[in-house]
Amino acid sequence: MADFTPNETLDCRGLSCPMPILKTKKTISAMKSGQILEILGTDPGTKNDLPAFAKRGGHEYLGEKQDEGFSRFYIKVK
Amino acid sequence: MSQDREESAMMNLLRRGYGAIFYENWPIWLGGVLLGIMSVITFAWARPWGVVGGLRNWGDWFFKVIGLYSQAPVSPLISTNSLIVLGLLWGSFASALLSKQFAIRMAPPFELLKGAVGGILMGIGAAMAGGCNVGGFYSAIGALSLSGIAMMIGLIMGAYLGLRYVYWELEHVATGSAGGSVTSASGKGLNLLAVEPYLGFLALLAAIVFTWVYADMALTREGVLALCGVAIGIIIQRTRLCFVRAFRDPFMTGEAEVPRAVAISIIIVILGSAALKWTGLRGEMVYVPQAFWFGGLVGGIIFGFGMVIAGGCGSGSVWRAGEGQIKLMLAVVFFSITVSLVERAIDASKALTALMGNRVFLPHFIGYRWAIISLIAILLLYYVITTWNEKTEKFMVEM
Repeated sequence: MADFTPNETLDCRGLSCPMPILKTKKTISAMKSGQILEILGTDPGTKNDLPAFAKRGGHEYLGEKQDEGFSRFYIKVK
Repeated sequence: MSQDREESAMMNLLRRGYGAIFYENWPIWLGGVLLGIMSVITFAWARPWGVVGGLRNWGDWFFKVIGLYSQAPVSPLISTNSLIVLGLLWGSFASALLSKQFAIRMAPPFELLKGAVGGILMGIGAAMAGGCNVGGFYSAIGALSLSGIAMMIGLIMGAYLGLRYVYWELEHVATGSAGGSVTSASGKGLNLLAVEPYLGFLALLAAIVFTWVYADMALTREGVLALCGVAIGIIIQRTRLCFVRAFRDPFMTGEAEVPRAVAISIIIVILGSAALKWTGLRGEMVYVPQAFWFGGLVGGIIFGFGMVIAGGCGSGSVWRAGEGQIKLMLAVVFFSITVSLVERAIDASKALTALMGNRVFLPHFIGYRWAIISLIAILLLYYVITTWNEKTEKFMVEM
């Protein structure tokens, strides 16, 4: 996956369903079109939930990166 | 030479098969179908699938140990209630290891509090409804009990209220980020993640040995039930089939994937257990809770609210605890002790018991044919309405 420079980073480490999705939704609503949001997460459910959320909202899911003990997810705001 | 190549082709095949089963999540509808089939197998073998009975058994046992209760419950190592939940916990633990998803996941303090409070509310709700989302709703509707429908309505209302609360919390409670509370997923020196699949394999092997040993002690029924629990744990962990989502998603994201999976799953259970009951192989009143309608409806509302803030229902809290989530472990502990206390209080009071309602086995009133048709119709209605809502977002609650 290519490297992205996120405009904003949302730290959801330690949070479980449904908090990461809701916080993502809230953060995205305050962002501009074309900006990139980075989400840090530790809940295995997020791996499925974020792409589905992005698809439903019309945003572009850019992918995920594995870091030490957590994942980084990238979404491009519609 | 060619033998080498054949072997490596075989290894490749096995590796890909393993990847498909344990590294990629299964579709949720498949989870619903498999869970339905496994529930029927469990009922045919001994008894319906349930969770709260096991949690209550642990709570009773805890209060006996600390001296609050004078009477000892059936040992958690013999009680079928307890064994089936131990199996669920063990199965999801093994499954999380096999998919390299096991990690002790710490949560921020406020989340831990929500886990505990959610557990307490679920304990109260389950005691009133005669079961959690499994025994009071899933297996109860499967058992052709009308209180399952009362609880379903309660769960929908409770999930809606729970979501309203979570939205309010997002605006007003500054939990902030969870920074700092990173998981202790993999040890630094030794790479735990790489050995997790082997540990998972050992855990599964241990479950089979356990059943073997139980069979040798003439406890075949109990041992195999635990193994049924393990199978259910693997199915639910791999598909992440979550009953909270079945009620919350239509309001939160509008998605209807999980509501559809749960509706299909229960239809399978209805058909299977109707066959077992009609033929007289199983008692008609099995898993018909005394909770129509007050206990089911009001218990469902309290339970539904609790499961949304805990982020896991009866089964969901247990399998996520098996995955290493501290918040859900707390939910299970508080759920167990609350359900033990509240059920005891209800049992002790004639007035409270009567308030919860009656045991209504639908075929006694409208016959098997119409009981099956009307229950399936209600589930299909849920299927259709949630799918319609997926397109129109009519029921979605904005933040």
